Amino acid sequence: MPPQANAPLPSGYQLDQYRIDRQLSLGGFSIVYLAYDAQGSAVAIKEYLPNALDLRRDGQIEPVVLAEHEAAFRYGMKCFFEEGRALAKLMHPNLVRVLNFFRANGTVYMVMRFERGRTLHDLIQKHRGALRERFIRGLFIRLLNGLREVHAHKLLHLDIKPSNIYVRTDGTPVLLDFGAARQTAVSGQPALRAMYTPGFASPEQLDRSAPLGPWTDIYSVGASLYACLGGSAPPPASERQRQDSYQPAAAAFAKDHSAQLLETIDWCLQLDPLARPQSVYALQKAMARCEPDQPVPGTLFTDLGAKIKAFIGRS
Amino acid sequence: MKFTIYQESRIGKRRSNQDRIAYCYSRDALLMVVADGMGGHLYGEIAAQIAVQYIAKRFQREAVPTVADIPLFLSRALINAHHAILDYATEKALDDIPRTTIVLCLIQESTAHWAHAGDSRLYLIREGNLKTRTRDHSRVQMMFEQGLISAAAMRTHPDRNRLYSCLGGQDLPRIDFARPMALHHDDLLVLCSDGAWGHLQDHELIALLDRPDLLAAAPLFLDEAELRGAATCDNLSLIALRWHADGEPIQPTTVSTDTLGAQTVTSRLEPFPQPRSAGPATEFSESEIEQAIAEINAAIHKYNP
Repeated sequence: MPPQANAPLPSGYQLDQYRIDRQLSLGGFSIVYLAYDAQGSAVAIKEYLPNALDLRRDGQIEPVVLAEHEAAFRYGMKCFFEEGRALAKLMHPNLVRVLNFFRANGTVYMVMRFERGRTLHDLIQKHRGALRERFIRGLFIRLLNGLREVHAHKLLHLDIKPSNIYVRTDGTPVLLDFGAARQTAVSGQPALRAMYTPGFASPEQLDRSAPLGPWTDIYSVGASLYACLGGSAPPPASERQRQDSYQPAAAAFAKDHSAQLLETIDWCLQLDPLARPQSVYALQKAMARCEPDQPVPGTLFTDLGAKIKAFIGRS
Repeated sequence: MKFTIYQESRIGKRRSNQDRIAYCYSRDALLMVVADGMGGHLYGEIAAQIAVQYIAKRFQREAVPTVADIPLFLSRALINAHHAILDYATEKALDDIPRTTIVLCLIQESTAHWAHAGDSRLYLIREGNLKTRTRDHSRVQMMFEQGLISAAAMRTHPDRNRLYSCLGGQDLPRIDFARPMALHHDDLLVLCSDGAWGHLQDHELIALLDRPDLLAAAPLFLDEAELRGAATCDNLSLIALRWHADGEPIQPTTVSTDTLGAQTVTSRLEPFPQPRSAGPATEFSESEIEQAIAEINAAIHKYNP
């Protein structure tokens, strides 16, 4: 991530009906703040502010867009709207929820429900390779429910990775950052190629060798699962296409995990889109198919929250 | 003069469009020109732009409403365009002289006169058959005529893009002037760059273009050519003209010049295309922003009762 080019809004700044508390994170095209609404409830506000354009110095509020950047700024704004449009239609406990969308200070803001927890990326870093299978299954079965909802609206997420999967303090996941999401039914292919994360992006996203579809998000789900087990993503798809150094999960993690989970991961990570599960439902079915001696995960969530709290407590 | 005309230039899968096309007409004369800037050379699109602009300007100046001496007009237009490109290269101190192919056609008194240099082509199609077409100034064409290679081998020969005549460059262009052809009612004239004809045989080109509704057939023809060009599709440009004899019934899409003033010249010069990498072509206006926000909020409230 390049250094932050734009100054964040100051703490205590009154933005519309929200009071800015502090910056939570920085993205390529936005800054996310923690803020409080008029009732005092916490919300996350995403401000459209491309980091590549130096728009706001310390002490300024309104971004200054140079004439030569105006077109790029407007175009990026259009993409920001795409994200808003995608999310506004979706209502699911495992998908980030948009509450409001408004214009101010010459840019646009998206207000989202604030979630308490941490990203799956942080959890993986902390427990490198030590995440328990039961935890992983429970997390992903819920996450896939959310993803099914996305696909049911003829949308693709296109940027699923552990840093976009938020794990609430009760252990349930929320899928974040729909910045790359695109309408599939309308355009067929994304109009603009987002920045993909190596290792988690499918081969067809990198070279457009095949149409994008649910199988594209499924590759990223497989890569995220793989990262949960191994601590890092599989080799980037581009590299795998030249010379596949991918070590199948079934071989790499056989000692700690069930063959059925590992086979499912390897299935998702097939380079050929047609060789992967073709729908989230197919993947869920594969994940739910349990060996007789294993307890059914996912439904037994009572002790999981406590476990997560234990994770967090250690941090 | 009555005719139906269609022109379009597409970028294909290239990073820039180095083709330039234009047509102009006065009351009694019509000019069409296609130039394909040579990509292997520096500034190919500059050569094409200079050639088309210069030739169109010369026509606008001289065709009031007819060109006095047609062979002289064609040769002067081409040779001077060649020199205009050389002048530009000298003026800007370019390392290499830009080059372009050219094909131009002038119609006056129901007779078509054309000339070309390079591998941009003109086809005259009459009653579904190829009446005549230009012979490319390409190495493969020469080898074919000398009996060294077959017609099929011309399509795949590694040297098929090597030309021995063009505007610009070190040598004086070799220009072929065709024998003037009297036009019949419903004749179809097609001018195109190699991106448009390169993957189609003559009979396929005729089958795709020689249809009752030219304005519908022409874009479909380009779609097909683009499809066959696949991932490396070259720039492709087309001007297609359907001639209507006097006294024949005309269609709503037909251009009739009979009511034009003697001094007016109408020109269609495609604007200088922006390279693909120049970023978003579409503006995002204030009202579109407002509308997008309204839509998003409507969706939020619909799904958050």
